[in-house]
Amino acid sequence: MKDIKELEKKARELKEMVVRMTTKAGTGHVTSSFSCAELMTALYYGDILRYRPDDCKWEGRDYFILSKGHANPILYAILADLGFIDKKELDLFCQPGGKIGVLLRGDIPGAEITSGSLGCGLGIAAGIAQALKSDRKPNYVFCMLGDAECREGAVWESAMYIGYAQLNNLVTIIDRNYLGATHFVEEEAGIEPIDDKWEAFGFDVRHINGHDIGEIMEAVGDVRCIKSKKPLAIIADTVKGNGVSFIENIPFMHGVAVKPERMEEAIEEIGKGSKL
Amino acid sequence: MRQAMRDAYWDRIYELAKNDRDIVIVSADFGAPSLDKFRRDFPNQYINTGISEQNAVLLATGLALAGKKPIAYAITQFITLRCFEQIRIYPCGMDLPVTIVGVGAGACYWESGSTHHSFEQLSIMRTLPNLETVNCTDCHMAKEAADFTVHASGPKFIQMDREVIDGIYRGTIDFKKGYSFLTAKNENMVISTGNMTKEAMDILNHAELDFGIMDIYKFPVDTESLKAELEGVKNIITLEEGAREGGLGSYILEILSDYEIRIPVHRIALNTYDGYAASYNYGGREEIRKGYGMGRKDILRVIGKEFARQ
Repeated sequence: MKDIKELEKKARELKEMVVRMTTKAGTGHVTSSFSCAELMTALYYGDILRYRPDDCKWEGRDYFILSKGHANPILYAILADLGFIDKKELDLFCQPGGKIGVLLRGDIPGAEITSGSLGCGLGIAAGIAQALKSDRKPNYVFCMLGDAECREGAVWESAMYIGYAQLNNLVTIIDRNYLGATHFVEEEAGIEPIDDKWEAFGFDVRHINGHDIGEIMEAVGDVRCIKSKKPLAIIADTVKGNGVSFIENIPFMHGVAVKPERMEEAIEEIGKGSKL
Repeated sequence: MRQAMRDAYWDRIYELAKNDRDIVIVSADFGAPSLDKFRRDFPNQYINTGISEQNAVLLATGLALAGKKPIAYAITQFITLRCFEQIRIYPCGMDLPVTIVGVGAGACYWESGSTHHSFEQLSIMRTLPNLETVNCTDCHMAKEAADFTVHASGPKFIQMDREVIDGIYRGTIDFKKGYSFLTAKNENMVISTGNMTKEAMDILNHAELDFGIMDIYKFPVDTESLKAELEGVKNIITLEEGAREGGLGSYILEILSDYEIRIPVHRIALNTYDGYAASYNYGGREEIRKGYGMGRKDILRVIGKEFARQ
Protein backbone atom coordinates (compact mmCIF):
# COMPACT_ATOMS: atom_id res chain seq x y z
CA MET A 1 0.00 0.00 0.00
CA LYS A 2 1.81 3.12 -1.11
CA ASP A 3 -0.98 5.46 -2.16
CA ILE A 4 -0.81 8.46 0.16
CA LYS A 5 -4.61 8.77 0.43
CA GLU A 6 -4.87 5.10 1.32
CA LEU A 7 -2.19 5.47 3.97
CA GLU A 8 -3.94 8.51 5.42
CA LYS A 9 -7.16 6.53 5.57
CA LYS A 10 -5.34 3.67 7.30
CA ALA A 11 -3.89 6.08 9.88
CA ARG A 12 -7.42 7.32 10.64
CA GLU A 13 -8.67 3.76 11.04
CA LEU A 14 -5.85 2.92 13.42
CA LYS A 15 -6.51 6.05 15.46
CA GLU A 16 -10.15 5.09 15.76
CA MET A 17 -9.10 1.65 16.98
CA VAL A 18 -6.86 3.32 19.58
CA VAL A 19 -9.70 5.52 20.84
CA ARG A 20 -12.11 2.60 21.09
CA MET A 21 -9.71 0.33 22.98
CA THR A 22 -8.42 2.98 25.38
CA THR A 23 -11.82 4.53 26.10
CA LYS A 24 -13.20 1.11 26.90
CA ALA A 25 -10.29 0.50 29.27
CA GLY A 26 -10.43 4.04 30.66
CA THR A 27 -6.67 4.37 30.27
CA GLY A 28 -3.84 4.39 27.73
CA HIS A 29 -1.56 6.85 26.00
CA VAL A 30 -3.81 8.15 23.27
CA THR A 31 -2.02 11.43 22.65
CA SER A 32 1.41 9.74 22.47
CA SER A 33 -0.06 7.32 19.93
CA PHE A 34 -1.59 10.06 17.81
CA SER A 35 1.59 12.06 17.44
CA CYS A 36 3.26 9.10 15.73
CA ALA A 37 0.19 7.60 14.02
CA GLU A 38 1.17 8.63 10.50
CA LEU A 39 4.82 7.71 11.08
CA MET A 40 3.84 4.24 12.23
CA THR A 41 1.33 3.85 9.41
CA ALA A 42 3.95 4.74 6.83
CA LEU A 43 6.43 2.27 8.31
CA TYR A 44 4.02 -0.66 8.47
CA TYR A 45 1.78 0.00 5.46
CA GLY A 46 4.04 2.02 3.18
CA ASP A 47 6.27 -0.92 2.21
CA ILE A 48 9.07 0.35 4.38
CA LEU A 49 9.29 -2.30 7.09
CA ARG A 50 9.66 -5.92 6.06
CA TYR A 51 7.71 -8.35 8.24
CA ARG A 52 5.61 -11.48 8.26
CA PRO A 53 2.60 -11.36 10.58
CA ASP A 54 2.41 -15.17 10.67
CA ASP A 55 6.11 -15.48 11.54
CA CYS A 56 7.06 -12.62 13.84
CA LYS A 57 10.62 -13.95 14.28
CA TRP A 58 11.20 -14.29 10.53
CA GLU A 59 14.94 -13.90 9.93
CA GLY A 60 14.43 -11.54 7.02
CA ARG A 61 12.38 -9.06 8.99
CA ASP A 62 13.28 -5.51 9.80
CA TYR A 63 13.24 -4.72 13.48
CA PHE A 64 10.94 -2.00 14.74
CA ILE A 65 11.93 -0.91 18.24
CA LEU A 66 9.41 1.28 20.01
CA SER A 67 11.55 3.09 22.53
CA LYS A 68 8.66 5.36 23.50
CA GLY A 69 6.72 2.36 24.76
CA HIS A 70 3.90 4.62 25.88
CA ALA A 71 2.69 4.80 22.28
CA ASN A 72 1.94 1.10 22.30
CA PRO A 73 -1.83 1.44 21.65
CA ILE A 74 -1.09 2.45 18.07
CA LEU A 75 1.44 -0.38 17.72
CA TYR A 76 -1.02 -2.89 19.15
CA ALA A 77 -3.70 -1.61 16.76
CA ILE A 78 -1.29 -2.19 13.86
CA LEU A 79 -0.24 -5.64 15.10
CA ALA A 80 -3.91 -6.62 15.43
CA ASP A 81 -4.84 -5.11 12.08
CA LEU A 82 -2.01 -6.98 10.34
CA GLY A 83 -2.75 -10.25 12.12
CA PHE A 84 0.27 -10.52 14.44
CA ILE A 85 -2.22 -10.73 17.28
CA ASP A 86 -5.94 -11.46 17.45
CA LYS A 87 -8.13 -8.38 17.02
CA LYS A 88 -10.10 -9.49 20.06
CA GLU A 89 -7.07 -8.54 22.14
CA LEU A 90 -7.82 -4.88 21.50
CA ASP A 91 -11.19 -5.23 23.21
CA LEU A 92 -9.38 -6.71 26.17
CA PHE A 93 -6.82 -3.87 26.36
CA CYS A 94 -5.99 -3.50 30.06
CA GLN A 95 -8.91 -5.75 31.00
CA PRO A 96 -8.86 -8.92 33.10
CA GLY A 97 -7.87 -11.85 30.90
CA GLY A 98 -6.27 -9.59 28.29
CA LYS A 99 -2.68 -9.80 27.14
CA ILE A 100 -1.98 -6.18 26.25
CA GLY A 101 -1.89 -3.17 28.53
CA VAL A 102 -0.72 0.38 28.94
CA LEU A 103 2.95 -0.25 28.21
CA LEU A 104 4.62 -2.46 25.64
CA ARG A 105 5.21 -6.08 26.50
CA GLY A 106 8.11 -7.91 24.86
CA ASP A 107 6.42 -11.28 24.47
CA ILE A 108 3.61 -9.97 22.26
CA PRO A 109 4.22 -11.11 18.66
CA GLY A 110 5.76 -8.24 16.73
CA ALA A 111 6.64 -6.16 19.80
CA GLU A 112 10.37 -7.13 19.84
CA ILE A 113 11.01 -5.57 23.27
CA THR A 114 9.43 -4.69 26.56
CA SER A 115 9.23 -0.93 26.64
CA GLY A 116 8.09 1.79 29.00
CA SER A 117 11.25 2.89 30.79
CA LEU A 118 12.49 5.59 28.46
CA GLY A 119 15.96 5.85 27.01
CA CYS A 120 16.46 2.13 26.43
CA GLY A 121 15.26 1.41 22.91
CA LEU A 122 17.99 3.13 20.96
CA GLY A 123 20.83 1.14 22.53
CA ILE A 124 18.94 -2.09 21.90
CA ALA A 125 18.31 -1.04 18.30
CA ALA A 126 22.05 -0.36 18.03
CA GLY A 127 22.89 -3.85 19.29
CA ILE A 128 20.58 -5.43 16.75
CA ALA A 129 21.95 -3.24 13.96
CA GLN A 130 25.50 -4.10 15.00
CA ALA A 131 24.73 -7.84 14.93
CA LEU A 132 23.10 -7.54 11.50
CA LYS A 133 26.04 -5.57 10.16
CA SER A 134 28.59 -8.03 11.56
CA ASP A 135 26.74 -10.88 9.89
CA ARG A 136 26.37 -8.87 6.64
CA LYS A 137 22.61 -9.18 6.75
CA PRO A 138 20.50 -6.70 4.81
CA ASN A 139 17.78 -6.18 7.45
CA TYR A 140 17.15 -2.69 8.78
CA VAL A 141 16.35 -1.50 12.26
CA PHE A 142 13.94 1.35 12.93
CA CYS A 143 13.73 2.93 16.35
CA MET A 144 11.07 5.41 17.47
CA LEU A 145 11.89 7.78 20.31
CA GLY A 146 9.93 10.57 21.90
CA ASP A 147 11.43 14.03 21.94
CA ALA A 148 11.10 14.41 25.72
CA GLU A 149 12.80 11.02 25.96
CA CYS A 150 15.90 12.68 24.54
CA ARG A 151 16.55 14.04 28.04
CA GLU A 152 17.62 10.53 29.07
CA GLY A 153 21.41 10.25 29.24
CA ALA A 154 21.43 6.71 27.87
CA VAL A 155 19.97 8.01 24.59
CA TRP A 156 23.17 9.95 24.02
CA GLU A 157 25.45 7.12 25.10
CA SER A 158 23.78 5.07 22.39
CA ALA A 159 23.69 7.91 19.86
CA MET A 160 27.43 8.40 20.31
CA TYR A 161 27.96 4.70 19.71
CA ILE A 162 25.73 4.59 16.61
CA GLY A 163 27.36 7.64 15.07
CA TYR A 164 30.87 6.41 15.77
CA ALA A 165 30.16 2.86 14.56
CA GLN A 166 28.33 4.25 11.51
CA LEU A 167 25.36 1.96 11.91
CA ASN A 168 23.70 3.11 8.72
CA ASN A 169 21.31 0.15 8.83
CA LEU A 170 19.54 1.85 11.73
CA VAL A 171 16.99 4.62 11.28
CA THR A 172 16.22 6.68 14.37
CA ILE A 173 12.90 8.52 14.33
CA ILE A 174 12.24 11.21 16.90
CA ASP A 175 8.59 11.98 17.43
CA ARG A 176 9.00 15.70 18.11
CA ASN A 177 5.65 16.49 19.67
CA TYR A 178 7.05 19.16 21.99
CA LEU A 179 5.33 17.69 25.03
CA GLY A 180 6.54 15.63 27.96
CA ALA A 181 4.20 14.02 30.47
CA THR A 182 3.36 17.31 32.13
CA HIS A 183 5.27 20.09 30.42
CA PHE A 184 6.00 21.73 27.10
CA VAL A 185 9.50 20.50 26.33
CA GLU A 186 10.98 23.81 25.29
CA GLU A 187 9.48 25.66 28.24
CA GLU A 188 10.91 23.54 31.04
CA ALA A 189 13.47 21.01 29.84
CA GLY A 190 14.37 22.02 26.32
CA ILE A 191 16.32 19.92 23.87
CA GLU A 192 17.03 22.46 21.12
CA PRO A 193 18.98 22.66 18.91
CA ILE A 194 17.88 19.08 18.37
CA ASP A 195 18.90 18.73 14.71
CA ASP A 196 22.38 20.01 15.52
CA LYS A 197 22.73 17.56 18.38
CA TRP A 198 22.01 14.52 16.22
CA GLU A 199 24.21 15.88 13.47
CA ALA A 200 27.01 16.43 15.97
CA PHE A 201 26.69 12.81 17.06
CA GLY A 202 27.34 11.68 13.49
CA PHE A 203 23.87 11.34 11.99
CA ASP A 204 22.38 12.54 8.74
CA VAL A 205 19.31 14.45 9.84
CA ARG A 206 16.07 14.86 7.94
CA HIS A 207 13.55 17.18 9.54
CA ILE A 208 9.99 16.62 8.42
CA ASN A 209 6.34 17.14 9.21
CA GLY A 210 5.52 13.90 10.98
CA HIS A 211 1.84 14.02 10.09
CA ASP A 212 2.43 14.42 6.36
CA ILE A 213 2.64 10.91 4.96
CA GLY A 214 4.04 12.22 1.68
CA GLU A 215 6.94 13.81 3.53
CA ILE A 216 7.43 10.72 5.67
CA MET A 217 7.59 8.48 2.59
CA GLU A 218 10.03 10.86 0.97
CA ALA A 219 12.26 10.85 4.05
CA VAL A 220 12.17 7.15 4.93
CA GLY A 221 10.93 5.37 1.85
CA ASP A 222 14.34 5.21 0.23
CA VAL A 223 16.49 4.14 3.20
CA ARG A 224 17.65 0.97 1.47
CA CYS A 225 19.04 3.03 -1.41
CA ILE A 226 20.93 5.59 0.67
CA LYS A 227 24.67 5.44 0.12
CA SER A 228 25.66 7.56 3.13
CA LYS A 229 27.86 5.88 5.70
CA LYS A 230 26.15 7.86 8.39
CA PRO A 231 23.11 6.61 10.24
CA LEU A 232 19.88 8.47 9.56
CA ALA A 233 17.86 10.41 12.12
CA ILE A 234 14.41 11.65 11.25
CA ILE A 235 13.16 14.52 13.37
CA ALA A 236 9.44 14.51 12.82
CA ASP A 237 7.51 17.55 14.01
CA THR A 238 4.21 16.36 15.37
CA VAL A 239 1.36 17.36 17.65
CA LYS A 240 0.55 15.22 20.65
CA GLY A 241 -3.05 14.08 20.34
CA ASN A 242 -3.16 15.29 16.75
CA GLY A 243 -6.55 15.20 15.07
CA VAL A 244 -8.84 15.42 18.08
CA SER A 245 -9.17 19.05 19.11
CA PHE A 246 -9.98 18.51 22.76
CA ILE A 247 -6.97 16.32 23.50
CA GLU A 248 -4.47 18.04 21.21
CA ASN A 249 -1.38 19.61 22.68
CA ILE A 250 -2.62 19.55 26.26
CA PRO A 251 0.06 18.53 28.80
CA PHE A 252 -2.19 16.71 31.22
CA MET A 253 -3.80 14.57 28.54
CA HIS A 254 -0.68 12.36 28.66
CA GLY A 255 -1.79 8.81 29.43
CA VAL A 256 -5.44 9.82 29.59
CA ALA A 257 -8.16 8.09 27.62
CA VAL A 258 -11.05 9.92 25.95
CA LYS A 259 -14.14 9.77 28.17
CA PRO A 260 -16.93 7.48 26.92
CA GLU A 261 -19.33 10.40 26.48
CA ARG A 262 -16.91 12.10 24.10
CA MET A 263 -15.75 9.01 22.21
CA GLU A 264 -18.05 9.48 19.23
CA GLU A 265 -17.06 13.11 18.97
CA ALA A 266 -13.38 12.09 18.92
CA ILE A 267 -14.02 9.45 16.26
CA GLU A 268 -15.91 11.95 14.15
CA GLU A 269 -12.98 14.37 14.30
CA ILE A 270 -10.55 11.60 13.39
CA GLY A 271 -12.73 10.76 10.39
CA LYS A 272 -12.45 14.29 9.09
CA GLY A 273 -8.68 13.96 8.96
CA SER A 274 -6.07 15.93 10.79
CA LYS A 275 -4.36 19.18 10.03
CA LEU A 276 -0.91 18.92 8.54
CA MET B 1 50.09 -21.32 36.27
CA ARG B 2 48.97 -18.57 38.60
CA GLN B 3 46.58 -16.43 36.70
CA ALA B 4 44.12 -13.64 37.42
CA MET B 5 40.49 -14.72 37.32
CA ARG B 6 39.71 -12.49 34.37
CA ASP B 7 42.61 -13.87 32.35
CA ALA B 8 41.54 -17.44 33.09
CA TYR B 9 38.03 -16.51 31.98
CA TRP B 10 38.98 -14.64 28.81
CA ASP B 11 41.54 -17.26 27.76
CA ARG B 12 38.81 -19.85 27.84
CA ILE B 13 36.36 -17.55 26.04
CA TYR B 14 39.03 -17.10 23.37
CA GLU B 15 39.18 -20.87 22.88
CA LEU B 16 35.39 -21.13 22.71
CA ALA B 17 35.14 -18.23 20.27
CA LYS B 18 37.28 -20.11 17.75
CA ASN B 19 34.23 -22.25 17.07
CA ASP B 20 31.49 -19.83 17.98
CA ARG B 21 31.11 -16.63 15.97
CA ASP B 22 28.18 -15.57 18.11
CA ILE B 23 30.29 -14.80 21.17
CA VAL B 24 30.61 -11.01 21.31
CA ILE B 25 32.49 -9.11 24.01
CA VAL B 26 31.05 -5.69 24.86
CA SER B 27 33.61 -3.91 26.99
CA ALA B 28 32.84 -0.58 28.61
CA ASP B 29 36.42 0.62 28.41
CA PHE B 30 37.84 -2.24 30.44
CA GLY B 31 40.55 -4.64 29.43
CA ALA B 32 42.69 -7.55 30.50
CA PRO B 33 46.03 -8.77 29.15
CA SER B 34 44.25 -11.84 27.83
CA LEU B 35 41.73 -9.74 25.90
CA ASP B 36 44.34 -8.34 23.55
CA LYS B 37 44.59 -11.51 21.49
CA PHE B 38 40.80 -11.76 21.35
CA ARG B 39 40.64 -8.22 19.96
CA ARG B 40 43.36 -9.05 17.48
CA ASP B 41 41.99 -12.36 16.25
CA PHE B 42 38.24 -11.72 16.49
CA PRO B 43 37.79 -8.02 15.76
CA ASN B 44 34.21 -8.56 14.61
CA GLN B 45 33.38 -10.08 17.96
CA TYR B 46 34.77 -7.33 20.13
CA ILE B 47 33.11 -3.98 20.84
CA ASN B 48 34.42 -1.25 23.08
CA THR B 49 31.51 1.03 23.92
CA GLY B 50 33.69 3.41 25.86
CA ILE B 51 32.68 4.48 29.34
CA SER B 52 28.95 3.94 28.93
CA GLU B 53 27.63 1.02 30.92
CA GLN B 54 23.97 1.65 30.22
CA ASN B 55 24.66 1.57 26.52
CA ALA B 56 26.86 -1.52 26.94
CA VAL B 57 24.00 -3.48 28.51
CA LEU B 58 21.46 -2.19 25.97
CA LEU B 59 23.79 -3.03 23.12
CA ALA B 60 24.30 -6.50 24.58
CA THR B 61 20.52 -6.83 24.77
CA GLY B 62 20.15 -5.97 21.10
CA LEU B 63 22.94 -8.37 20.17
CA ALA B 64 21.20 -11.14 22.11
CA LEU B 65 17.87 -10.35 20.42
CA ALA B 66 19.64 -10.79 17.09
CA GLY B 67 21.01 -14.20 18.09
CA LYS B 68 24.39 -13.36 19.61
CA LYS B 69 25.87 -14.38 22.97
CA PRO B 70 27.11 -11.07 24.29
CA ILE B 71 29.32 -10.61 27.34
CA ALA B 72 29.20 -7.10 28.85
CA TYR B 73 32.37 -6.35 30.75
CA ALA B 74 33.61 -3.69 33.14
CA ILE B 75 34.49 -3.11 36.78
CA THR B 76 31.74 -4.83 38.78
CA GLN B 77 30.48 -1.73 40.51
CA PHE B 78 29.84 0.05 37.21
CA ILE B 79 28.48 -2.79 35.12
CA THR B 80 25.87 -3.67 37.73
CA LEU B 81 24.62 -0.64 39.60
CA ARG B 82 25.04 2.10 36.98
CA CYS B 83 22.97 0.07 34.58
CA PHE B 84 20.89 -1.91 37.04
CA GLU B 85 17.59 -0.90 35.47
CA GLN B 86 18.70 -1.94 32.01
CA ILE B 87 19.84 -5.32 33.37
CA ARG B 88 16.57 -5.68 35.24
CA ILE B 89 14.23 -4.98 32.34
CA TYR B 90 16.13 -6.53 29.46
CA PRO B 91 18.50 -9.46 30.05
CA CYS B 92 16.61 -10.47 33.20
CA GLY B 93 13.05 -9.38 32.42
CA MET B 94 13.18 -10.74 28.88
CA ASP B 95 15.31 -13.76 29.88
CA LEU B 96 18.04 -13.16 27.31
CA PRO B 97 21.45 -14.86 27.04
CA VAL B 98 23.42 -11.81 28.14
CA THR B 99 26.35 -12.30 30.50
CA ILE B 100 27.52 -9.48 32.75
CA VAL B 101 31.14 -9.90 33.79
CA GLY B 102 32.47 -7.65 36.53
CA VAL B 103 35.94 -7.53 38.00
CA GLY B 104 36.31 -6.07 41.46
CA ALA B 105 34.56 -8.18 44.10
CA GLY B 106 34.27 -6.55 47.51
CA ALA B 107 37.15 -4.25 48.36
CA CYS B 108 39.74 -5.77 46.05
CA TYR B 109 40.37 -2.34 44.53
CA TRP B 110 41.47 -1.42 48.03
CA GLU B 111 43.40 1.66 46.96
CA SER B 112 40.47 3.15 45.05
CA GLY B 113 37.81 3.79 47.67
CA SER B 114 34.08 3.27 47.75
CA THR B 115 33.38 4.20 44.13
CA HIS B 116 35.14 1.02 43.06
CA HIS B 117 33.99 -1.26 45.85
CA SER B 118 31.42 -3.90 45.15
CA PHE B 119 29.60 -4.36 48.44
CA GLU B 120 25.92 -4.51 47.54
CA GLN B 121 26.13 -6.56 44.35
CA LEU B 122 25.13 -9.93 45.78
CA SER B 123 22.31 -8.39 47.79
CA ILE B 124 20.92 -6.55 44.80
CA MET B 125 21.61 -8.83 41.86
CA ARG B 126 20.12 -11.90 43.48
CA THR B 127 16.71 -10.19 43.53
CA LEU B 128 16.58 -10.24 39.72
CA PRO B 129 14.49 -12.79 37.83
CA ASN B 130 16.17 -15.49 35.73
CA LEU B 131 19.64 -14.27 36.69
CA GLU B 132 22.30 -16.76 37.72
CA THR B 133 25.13 -15.15 39.65
CA VAL B 134 28.55 -16.75 39.90
CA ASN B 135 30.77 -15.24 42.58
CA CYS B 136 34.09 -16.75 41.58
CA THR B 137 36.06 -18.44 44.33
CA ASP B 138 39.27 -19.00 42.38
CA CYS B 139 40.68 -18.71 38.88
CA HIS B 140 39.79 -22.27 37.95
CA MET B 141 36.17 -21.43 38.65
CA ALA B 142 36.47 -18.30 36.53
CA LYS B 143 37.69 -20.47 33.65
CA GLU B 144 34.78 -22.89 34.13
CA ALA B 145 32.40 -19.93 34.26
CA ALA B 146 33.36 -19.22 30.65
CA ASP B 147 31.83 -22.52 29.55
CA PHE B 148 28.81 -21.81 31.71
CA THR B 149 28.51 -18.39 30.03
CA VAL B 150 28.50 -19.80 26.55
CA HIS B 151 26.53 -23.00 27.02
CA ALA B 152 23.79 -22.14 29.53
CA SER B 153 20.76 -20.11 28.47
CA GLY B 154 19.45 -16.96 30.14
CA PRO B 155 21.17 -14.03 31.84
CA LYS B 156 24.24 -14.47 34.01
CA PHE B 157 26.36 -12.29 36.24
CA ILE B 158 29.95 -13.40 36.82
CA GLN B 159 31.78 -11.54 39.55
CA MET B 160 35.55 -11.86 39.81
CA ASP B 161 38.17 -10.82 42.27
CA ARG B 162 41.22 -8.88 41.23
CA GLU B 163 43.42 -10.90 43.60
CA VAL B 164 45.00 -14.02 42.21
CA ILE B 165 43.30 -16.84 44.10
CA ASP B 166 43.96 -20.38 42.96
CA GLY B 167 44.24 -23.97 44.10
CA ILE B 168 40.78 -24.34 45.63
CA TYR B 169 38.89 -25.96 42.76
CA ARG B 170 39.76 -28.39 40.02
CA GLY B 171 37.74 -30.37 37.51
CA THR B 172 34.19 -29.66 36.43
CA ILE B 173 32.25 -27.24 38.58
CA ASP B 174 28.58 -27.92 39.21
CA PHE B 175 26.93 -24.57 38.54
CA LYS B 176 23.48 -26.04 39.05
CA LYS B 177 24.26 -27.04 42.60
CA GLY B 178 26.07 -23.80 43.35
CA TYR B 179 27.90 -24.81 46.53
CA SER B 180 30.42 -27.30 47.78
CA PHE B 181 31.97 -28.59 50.98
CA LEU B 182 35.65 -27.77 50.99
CA THR B 183 36.18 -29.82 54.16
CA ALA B 184 34.32 -32.70 55.73
CA LYS B 185 30.95 -31.72 57.09
CA ASN B 186 31.18 -30.43 60.65
CA GLU B 187 28.62 -29.46 63.28
CA ASN B 188 30.18 -26.01 63.05
CA MET B 189 30.15 -24.68 59.51
CA VAL B 190 31.55 -21.52 58.05
CA ILE B 191 29.62 -20.74 54.89
CA SER B 192 31.53 -18.29 52.76
CA THR B 193 31.58 -16.81 49.29
CA GLY B 194 34.10 -15.25 46.92
CA ASN B 195 37.49 -14.27 48.30
CA MET B 196 36.38 -15.00 51.87
CA THR B 197 36.44 -18.71 51.16
CA LYS B 198 40.22 -18.49 50.80
CA GLU B 199 40.26 -16.49 54.02
CA ALA B 200 38.25 -19.18 55.81
CA MET B 201 40.65 -21.84 54.59
CA ASP B 202 43.65 -19.84 55.78
CA ILE B 203 42.06 -19.45 59.20
CA LEU B 204 41.31 -23.16 59.42
CA ASN B 205 44.87 -24.02 58.47
CA HIS B 206 46.52 -21.63 60.87
CA ALA B 207 44.29 -21.30 63.92
CA GLU B 208 43.51 -23.81 66.61
CA LEU B 209 39.89 -24.05 65.63
CA ASP B 210 37.76 -26.87 64.34
CA PHE B 211 35.05 -26.14 61.80
CA GLY B 212 33.90 -27.07 58.32
CA ILE B 213 33.79 -24.83 55.26
CA MET B 214 31.09 -24.64 52.66
CA ASP B 215 31.64 -22.37 49.67
CA ILE B 216 28.62 -20.82 47.99
CA TYR B 217 29.66 -19.79 44.51
CA LYS B 218 26.41 -19.53 42.61
CA PHE B 219 23.20 -17.72 43.48
CA PRO B 220 20.65 -19.14 43.66
CA VAL B 221 21.93 -22.52 44.86
CA ASP B 222 20.05 -25.77 44.54
CA THR B 223 18.20 -25.23 47.81
CA GLU B 224 16.62 -28.69 47.97
CA SER B 225 19.99 -30.42 48.06
CA LEU B 226 21.48 -27.76 50.34
CA LYS B 227 18.67 -28.36 52.80
CA ALA B 228 19.58 -32.04 52.96
CA GLU B 229 23.29 -31.24 53.33
CA LEU B 230 22.62 -29.06 56.36
CA GLU B 231 21.24 -32.01 58.30
CA GLY B 232 23.24 -32.32 61.51
CA VAL B 233 24.80 -28.86 61.35
CA LYS B 234 24.43 -27.06 64.68
CA ASN B 235 26.07 -23.69 64.14
CA ILE B 236 26.61 -21.55 61.08
CA ILE B 237 28.79 -18.53 60.56
CA THR B 238 28.45 -16.82 57.20
CA LEU B 239 31.44 -14.94 55.87
CA GLU B 240 31.38 -12.45 53.01
CA GLU B 241 33.18 -9.29 51.99
CA GLY B 242 29.98 -7.49 51.21
CA ALA B 243 27.19 -5.54 52.84
CA ARG B 244 25.43 -7.37 55.64
CA GLU B 245 22.04 -6.33 54.30
CA GLY B 246 20.72 -8.90 51.88
CA GLY B 247 23.98 -10.68 51.15
CA LEU B 248 25.12 -14.26 51.66
CA GLY B 249 24.15 -14.30 55.33
CA SER B 250 20.65 -13.11 54.56
CA TYR B 251 20.40 -15.64 51.78
CA ILE B 252 21.27 -18.53 54.14
CA LEU B 253 18.78 -17.24 56.71
CA GLU B 254 16.08 -17.06 54.04
CA ILE B 255 16.72 -20.67 53.02
CA LEU B 256 16.69 -21.88 56.63
CA SER B 257 13.50 -19.93 57.28
CA ASP B 258 11.77 -21.24 54.16
CA TYR B 259 12.50 -24.83 55.17
CA GLU B 260 11.85 -24.15 58.87
CA ILE B 261 15.31 -25.35 59.81
CA ARG B 262 16.47 -24.06 63.18
CA ILE B 263 20.21 -23.49 63.12
CA PRO B 264 21.73 -20.39 64.75
CA VAL B 265 23.44 -18.20 62.14
CA HIS B 266 25.98 -15.51 62.89
CA ARG B 267 26.70 -13.22 59.97
CA ILE B 268 30.16 -11.80 59.42
CA ALA B 269 29.94 -9.13 56.76
CA LEU B 270 30.92 -5.52 56.19
CA ASN B 271 29.23 -3.04 58.45
CA THR B 272 28.55 -0.40 55.81
CA TYR B 273 25.39 1.02 57.32
CA ASP B 274 27.18 4.02 58.83
CA GLY B 275 28.86 5.00 55.59
CA TYR B 276 31.83 4.26 53.38
CA ALA B 277 34.55 5.96 55.42
CA ALA B 278 36.45 2.68 55.96
CA SER B 279 36.74 2.27 52.18
CA TYR B 280 39.36 4.99 52.43
CA ASN B 281 41.55 3.12 54.92
CA TYR B 282 44.79 2.74 53.02
CA GLY B 283 47.39 0.02 53.33
CA GLY B 284 45.57 -2.97 51.86
CA ARG B 285 42.33 -4.89 51.83
CA GLU B 286 42.69 -6.01 55.45
CA GLU B 287 42.68 -2.39 56.61
CA ILE B 288 39.33 -1.89 54.92
CA ARG B 289 37.88 -5.07 56.38
CA LYS B 290 39.07 -3.99 59.82
CA GLY B 291 37.42 -0.63 59.39
CA TYR B 292 34.11 -2.31 58.59
CA GLY B 293 34.43 -4.66 61.57
CA MET B 294 35.61 -7.84 59.89
CA GLY B 295 39.38 -7.87 60.08
CA ARG B 296 41.11 -11.22 60.61
CA LYS B 297 41.06 -10.72 64.41
CA ASP B 298 37.35 -9.92 64.40
CA ILE B 299 36.64 -13.06 62.41
CA LEU B 300 38.76 -15.23 64.72
CA ARG B 301 36.99 -13.79 67.76
CA VAL B 302 33.54 -14.51 66.34
CA ILE B 303 34.44 -18.03 65.23
CA GLY B 304 35.98 -18.80 68.63
CA LYS B 305 32.95 -17.49 70.46
CA GLU B 306 30.15 -18.86 68.29
CA PHE B 307 31.57 -22.33 67.78
CA ALA B 308 32.44 -22.72 71.49
CA ARG B 309 28.83 -22.05 72.47
CA GLN B 310 27.42 -25.53 72.73
